[in-house]
Amino acid sequence: MPGSRLEAALHASPSRFGPLRDSLISFGAFAVLWQLASFVLPAFMVPSWQRIASSLAHLHYDNVLVSLARVIVALIASFALGMAGALAMYLSERVERFGMPLVNLVMAVPATCWIVFSILWFKGVELRICFVLVVVCAPIFLVDFLDGMRGVSRDLRSMVWSFRPGLIQYLVKLLFPAITPIVLTSLKINVSQAIRLVTFAELVGAVSGIGYGLSTAQEMFSVAEVFAWTLVLIVILTLAMELLAHMERRLLRWRA
Amino acid sequence: MPGIRVEGLAKSYKQSQGGEVVTAIKGLDFAIASGELVAIAGRTGCGKSTFLNLLLGLDRPTAGRILVDGRTPYNDFAYFRGKIAGIFQEDRLLPWRSALENVKLGLEILGRSPAEQKEIASSWLERMGLADYLHAYPHELSGGMRQRVSMARAYAVNPEILVVDEAFGHLDEVTAIALRKTFGELTRGEKKTAIMVTHQLEEALDIADRILVFGRPATLLLDTLGKDWKGDVRGLRGMIHNLIETNVPMSGQSNGAGVVPFAQSGKETFDASGH
Repeated sequence: MPGSRLEAALHASPSRFGPLRDSLISFGAFAVLWQLASFVLPAFMVPSWQRIASSLAHLHYDNVLVSLARVIVALIASFALGMAGALAMYLSERVERFGMPLVNLVMAVPATCWIVFSILWFKGVELRICFVLVVVCAPIFLVDFLDGMRGVSRDLRSMVWSFRPGLIQYLVKLLFPAITPIVLTSLKINVSQAIRLVTFAELVGAVSGIGYGLSTAQEMFSVAEVFAWTLVLIVILTLAMELLAHMERRLLRWRA
Repeated sequence: MPGIRVEGLAKSYKQSQGGEVVTAIKGLDFAIASGELVAIAGRTGCGKSTFLNLLLGLDRPTAGRILVDGRTPYNDFAYFRGKIAGIFQEDRLLPWRSALENVKLGLEILGRSPAEQKEIASSWLERMGLADYLHAYPHELSGGMRQRVSMARAYAVNPEILVVDEAFGHLDEVTAIALRKTFGELTRGEKKTAIMVTHQLEEALDIADRILVFGRPATLLLDTLGKDWKGDVRGLRGMIHNLIETNVPMSGQSNGAGVVPFAQSGKETFDASGH
């Protein structure tokens, strides 16, 4: 009876295999369908896994290291700027009142425009790419950190103040630990954003990096190589998110 | 040991919406000698917690002043480090720190060495019956245990003055009675001056040496200073209820030191009739 089937479907027990195995099954099915499609469709549309594997084997992986280095340097700079800005605004209402409109203005400018500006303003490729990443990521850090600081409960603030800490003690013992969850969330967003953005910036204005590799593959009409670089990006992003998830589990182990 | 003097204290706030000025404390004048355990009772919202925040130096009076050992807690912020500690409504434990690390907080701020911090904090947690829970996080502890940790945190810095803001009201009765007993024994044993705000009259009657009754906004309706009220707790209870209901002070007269006399007729004890 339809009603019974519906009920049975709604109350079906969850998969015995767990989310990882479910993902592998989905990806495996996709891979099989892809290979079947490659037998039927032209190679420039759906290259076979053999072609993609061959491209993967011949990629210049030093480009990966270059892109990662750019991302790491830019994220460190963005983090520092974001934290400094957030602290300044947290400690001074005047700084926040006059500074936040400028932050909002910067955030309103599309990343594409920043890339064009960087090409026009700066000669060096590294400076251009760093500028673009920082100008996009730092405001996100700043806004998130400031939100986190303002969100620290009044009860905890007054409890800590009752012990009369110095300013550095207050920051180190209360504020920074309290905003750790927000910092980690913001890092996840910005790492993902930075990896995508560096690829785009390299695509239009660099002679090294993953974006440059993609640009070269496009010029050579090598769809298999484009797919290969795309897979590399997916793996990098996945590993980065997994690393941050591991950090989160460790740093936030005090959570219920 | 410092005494506390409250002189012409007033506190008003401007509301963030509407801009209306709200008076939390209208005028308070009294003194507390060192070693006293004073309870402040009054209706919810009568400015008791506001008074404690002023005493802790977390806020500035609008008028008047609080003097502790001749200094003002708000202005002489650094001077009072380690001298005044608070036990609050809710435990206010830092959730990312274990019980031991929470108790160490004040000691870290005072700059005690790590070895001293560990020794003092462990010792206080053992006195609170939490020796087996040193490394437990707050979410792993019951409400009563968390409040014990917050008490240990306050005692660990060896303050001269303890400020207690409705610390037991949110707990179940059995736990609250047990913690009140511990608090009373420790405070007297360690010879601390304690100012305890409570909206539960039974709590005040149970452990305090002296009771101040605040009106709303905070003015002094009653001060049991120097009067033998322990012999007629029932009568005092009735009278305090009446004072809080009517919001009228026991007497309009002052004895010159800013203290509202306990009885109008000069009787030394309080009787059930309210006179």
